[in-house]
Amino acid sequence: MVGLSEGEKHFIRGGIAQDLRADGRRRLQFRSVSVETGVIPQANGSARVRLGATEVIASVKAELGKPSILHPDKGKVSIFVDCSPTAAPMFEGRGSEELSTELSVALQRCLLGGKSGAGAVIDLSSLIVVDGKVCWDLYIDGLVISSDGNLLDALASAIKVALSDTGIPKVNVSLSAATDEEPEVDVSDEEFVQFDTSSVPVIVTLTKVGKDYIVDATSEEESQMSSAVSVSVNRHGKICGLTKRGGAGLDPSVIFDMISVAKHVSQQFLSLLDSEIASAEAAE
Amino acid sequence: MRQLKGEIGVVAKADGSALFEMGNTRVIAAVYGPREVQNKGQQVNSKEALVRCEYRMAEFSTGDRRRKPKGDRRSTEISLVIRQTMEASILTHLMPRSQIDIFVQVLQADGGTRSACINAATLALADAGIPMRDIVTSCSAGYLCSTPLLDLNYIEDSAGGPDVTVGILAKMDKVTLLQMDAKLPMDTFENVMELAIEGCKAIANYIREVLLENTKRLECQRG
Amino acid sequence: MRDLQLSLNQTRRSLAPAAASAAAVTVEDTIPVNDEDNILKGHGTSDQDGEVVATLCGVVERVNKLVYVRALRARYKPEVGDIIVGRVIEIAPKHWRLEINFSQDAVLMLSSMNLPDGIQRRRTAVDELNMRSIFEENDVICADVRGFQHDRSLHLQARSQKYGKLERGQLLIVPAYLVKRRKQHFHHLKQYDVDLILGCNGFVWVGEHVVVGENTNKMEDKPSLSAEVENFTPLETRKHICRLANAVRVLSALGFTLTVELIIDTAEASVSSNVEINNMLGAEFYVQTAEAEAMRRADLLRKKSGSR
Repeated sequence: MVGLSEGEKHFIRGGIAQDLRADGRRRLQFRSVSVETGVIPQANGSARVRLGATEVIASVKAELGKPSILHPDKGKVSIFVDCSPTAAPMFEGRGSEELSTELSVALQRCLLGGKSGAGAVIDLSSLIVVDGKVCWDLYIDGLVISSDGNLLDALASAIKVALSDTGIPKVNVSLSAATDEEPEVDVSDEEFVQFDTSSVPVIVTLTKVGKDYIVDATSEEESQMSSAVSVSVNRHGKICGLTKRGGAGLDPSVIFDMISVAKHVSQQFLSLLDSEIASAEAAE
Repeated sequence: MRQLKGEIGVVAKADGSALFEMGNTRVIAAVYGPREVQNKGQQVNSKEALVRCEYRMAEFSTGDRRRKPKGDRRSTEISLVIRQTMEASILTHLMPRSQIDIFVQVLQADGGTRSACINAATLALADAGIPMRDIVTSCSAGYLCSTPLLDLNYIEDSAGGPDVTVGILAKMDKVTLLQMDAKLPMDTFENVMELAIEGCKAIANYIREVLLENTKRLECQRG
Repeated sequence: MRDLQLSLNQTRRSLAPAAASAAAVTVEDTIPVNDEDNILKGHGTSDQDGEVVATLCGVVERVNKLVYVRALRARYKPEVGDIIVGRVIEIAPKHWRLEINFSQDAVLMLSSMNLPDGIQRRRTAVDELNMRSIFEENDVICADVRGFQHDRSLHLQARSQKYGKLERGQLLIVPAYLVKRRKQHFHHLKQYDVDLILGCNGFVWVGEHVVVGENTNKMEDKPSLSAEVENFTPLETRKHICRLANAVRVLSALGFTLTVELIIDTAEASVSSNVEINNMLGAEFYVQTAEAEAMRRADLLRKKSGSR
């Protein structure tokens, strides 16, 4: 990321204080969002989301696997993010590992819930095929193609859209298998089960610059932040996860305020995303 | 030959970028440069530009999901191959003491990724305005059931027959890349290679059209 | 959003005059030359088997006996006397290194800079140690191209009062080929009280107007937060800066050559159509600007053919 001079930083801080950012947006406005589904035909579901100049692709792949011994009645979901060097030359080689890990962990925390699987957004028990023997493993992969700030929000929305585009094939289990052997499963090519993504949350990152918070920061604005709070909120207004980045300490009242602002903004963003999903599906 | 599609300018921040599709294989290439050499230790020859290349596959790109797709030996080898092929064509002596980075990201792999990467890199380098001797194109061909086949996809490639990948400088009619695995008798090899070279020439025509179209469009918009 | 994309493409197509497309070439195309001898081969061409062949994708330009290919989206190609805007990357003994969208970084020697106190004297060791007080890392600087040195590095100079550090504004990066060389690159827009500097290297600066000669009080410490708040750019000026900056973004995304008149026209069109500043980056305004440009060019063509 290119550095900024003192004069430019001053200008950005002034803009945020006066509610007129460098590209004319208000503090709580998102950049224009564009959504496309089905970009990776080989995957079970995929989406590409463009948030201003930030572009990310998310894909969902489902494979049959064995459930873990601790939870024989639940499927498994894992989320990984990779930053492509096409986004910035510094991402080549191992340069992107730190950022990728940070994004993956934040997404896992917001979407997958705790270690016990409780509170996960996708109903894991719907992924089970045969109790204790066969389940669906969902691999959700995110790829950052172009980066201009606010990667977490873009990735979360891409994952939401990809999940809405995902179809898990119907499985017919042959009933004649004995209890100890591996049951035979017949994966159908024709019938698919769609996910219900109405409860998948979306992440809104609030970046604090000076005394005010902004939504959807560009990479220049992000360089000015003292701290950032990412809140994942679903349609019912419930908070599904929270991450704070940045070294500056925040007063607890400030955090509560940021959470309520995030809830308010997320509802607008959710409806915008839903309408984009609907129009994308209609266009296909 | 599968259906081709090339698109220029997909990554706004890069100096040059392109998306290239051969059937279901989809590849994005981004070029950053020529710019100041970042790591002086890597610069061997100060009279020429330093060309670097990295090849990466997305985790969702292949049928079975791969883990840790970068840094493995195949990626390193393909990065090296792409770099050598492009270096043969770039007029590096025109840009001394600078470096050119080529980044190739595979979105979907369905056989022929090497060729798609080289074709995408050619488009991206031309988009970045980097002077080149010639258009480099690449295509693969194989031999299955006693017939030479052009542009194998993943299923045909895994069928066990030989796979010949050829890269040529289109107008100068010179071969810069030749790789083959498995066994093939000499005369059949010549047939398969001829077929691959024809495929390369067809791709070169397509790439030339795409570049010409893009140049005209930019010039018209400029006014 | 998708319908707007379609109408944008249609407008783009209507912009195409036939004349420009005739001279476009891609790599490895033969360039037709009439005189076989005395042709000077310029940039972007090479000699192969006696034919002149293009090495770049671009437009063929012929000036008397010189034939060259002008690339479009390439990096900046410096010429002596160009006014450019750059960012300081490193402070080195007796010079600063700047990034200017060229294949190498440019060098600004301490001796090519005016000292803050304005006196012409030899630079001493104290000056060298105080280089940081003049320009720091990441500062945005306006300078002009002095020339290439014998070791093929590019040198800049900033000898007049109007060059120097740029503050209180924003820097935009556009493709270098969209900024043509003109007589004037500094534009002080009086009606907005805004400075607009079109660097030939594609770095465009839009910022608050700074009165020339006011840059002597740089030696203070950083002001406290409250002093800073009062020091912010006033809202009216900021609105103008953002509008102009968005106009530049829209025009560069559409691929139109950037001239001051066009930027001002676009900004004023947005005001008269009551487009909010942030909506300037939305699809409708793109289409509106493209259509306005198409009409403008059609008018220009009509005038040209009418005056013949």
